[in-house]
Amino acid sequence: MNRTVLIIGLIIVAAIVVVLFAGLGKDPQHIDSPLVGKPAPPFALKAVNTGETIDLESLRGKPVIVNFWATWCVPCYEEHPTLVANARQLPNVQFVGVVFNDTEDKINHFLAERGSAYPTLLDTNGKTAIAYGVGGVPETYFINAAGTIVAKFEGPMNTEILQENLAKAMR
Amino acid sequence: MIATFFLLALLQIKVPDAAQFVGQPQGRPLAGAQLEQQTMAISHELRCPVCQGLAIGDSPSIMASNMKAQVRELLERGYTEEQILSYFEKSYGQFVLLKPKFQGVNALVWILPVAVLAIGFVLVVSKAKKLEVEPVHAAAEEEPADDPYLARVREMVEKP
Repeated sequence: MNRTVLIIGLIIVAAIVVVLFAGLGKDPQHIDSPLVGKPAPPFALKAVNTGETIDLESLRGKPVIVNFWATWCVPCYEEHPTLVANARQLPNVQFVGVVFNDTEDKINHFLAERGSAYPTLLDTNGKTAIAYGVGGVPETYFINAAGTIVAKFEGPMNTEILQENLAKAMR
Repeated sequence: MIATFFLLALLQIKVPDAAQFVGQPQGRPLAGAQLEQQTMAISHELRCPVCQGLAIGDSPSIMASNMKAQVRELLERGYTEEQILSYFEKSYGQFVLLKPKFQGVNALVWILPVAVLAIGFVLVVSKAKKLEVEPVHAAAEEEPADDPYLARVREMVEKP
C-alpha cells in the first residue's frame, strides 16, 4: 500500500514539476495570437500626421505592417528609427502606425521631433487595438497582400526582426 | 468637450466591429442597473492583458477600462455574455478568459483537482478501514484463550 501511495505521489509531483518547468522560460505577458492565419480586422482611421484616411481594405495587394505604439511607451522610442528607416527603404510595403491611449498633440510632437515616413492613425477608444488582441506596446502585425495576418511581434523590433517577419508576408 | 468628441468621431471613421467576429446580437439590449451589473459580471471573467492575473473589472489600467467600455457597449447593443466572451477570445485567445474552457489541455485544469481529490478520498477511506479492522485482529491475536504465558501471569497476579 505504502509503495502504491509513494508511486502515485511521485507521478503527481513529477507532472507538476514538468508543467512548471515548461513555463519557466516563457514570458507571462506573451499572448499567442489566434489571429495569425486569419483575415486582418478591417479599420479605416484618419492619420493625424498626414490627414489622409487609411482604410486597411484598400491596401490589399501589398504587404502591410501595422505597428501599435504610443508616445508614453519607452521601447517605442527605441523602435521608431527602425520603422522609419525601413519604410523609406521599402516603398512596396505599406507601413501604418496605430497609436492608442494618446493625444494628437503628443503624437505630432513626437513625429516632428523623431521623423515620420508613413501614416499614423489614432485609435481613440482602443477598439482597433482590442480587435487585434493588443496586450501592450509596441506590437506589430504583418499582413500579406491577401489581407491575412501572417505574423505578430511583441516588443521593439530591430531591422533583422522586422525583415524576418516581413518575409512571411511577402511569400 | 463637444469639439473633442466630434474630432474623435472624425478620426474614427471605421473601427473593427464585434459583428464581424460573432455576428449579430442574439440577446436583448440592456440598460440601467442591469447593464452595470452585467458589465461588472463579465468584466470579472476577462483577464486584463497588461496586468498580472487581474480581471479587467479590477484593473485601473487604460487598456482594461477600454475593454470594460467595450463590454458595456456590446451589452447595450444586445450581445449576450457568451458572444462577448467569444469576441474577446477571438482576438486574445483563451488567455483572456479567467475561467478556462473545458477543452483540450485546459480540460486538465478541471479534471486534475477532482481526480486528485478522488484518489485521496479512496486512499483515506481504505486506510481508515484498515485501522478499524486491525485492532480487533490484534486483540484477538494478543489474547488467545490457551496462551500458557498469560495463564501463568494471571495465576501469579490472582495469587493472594
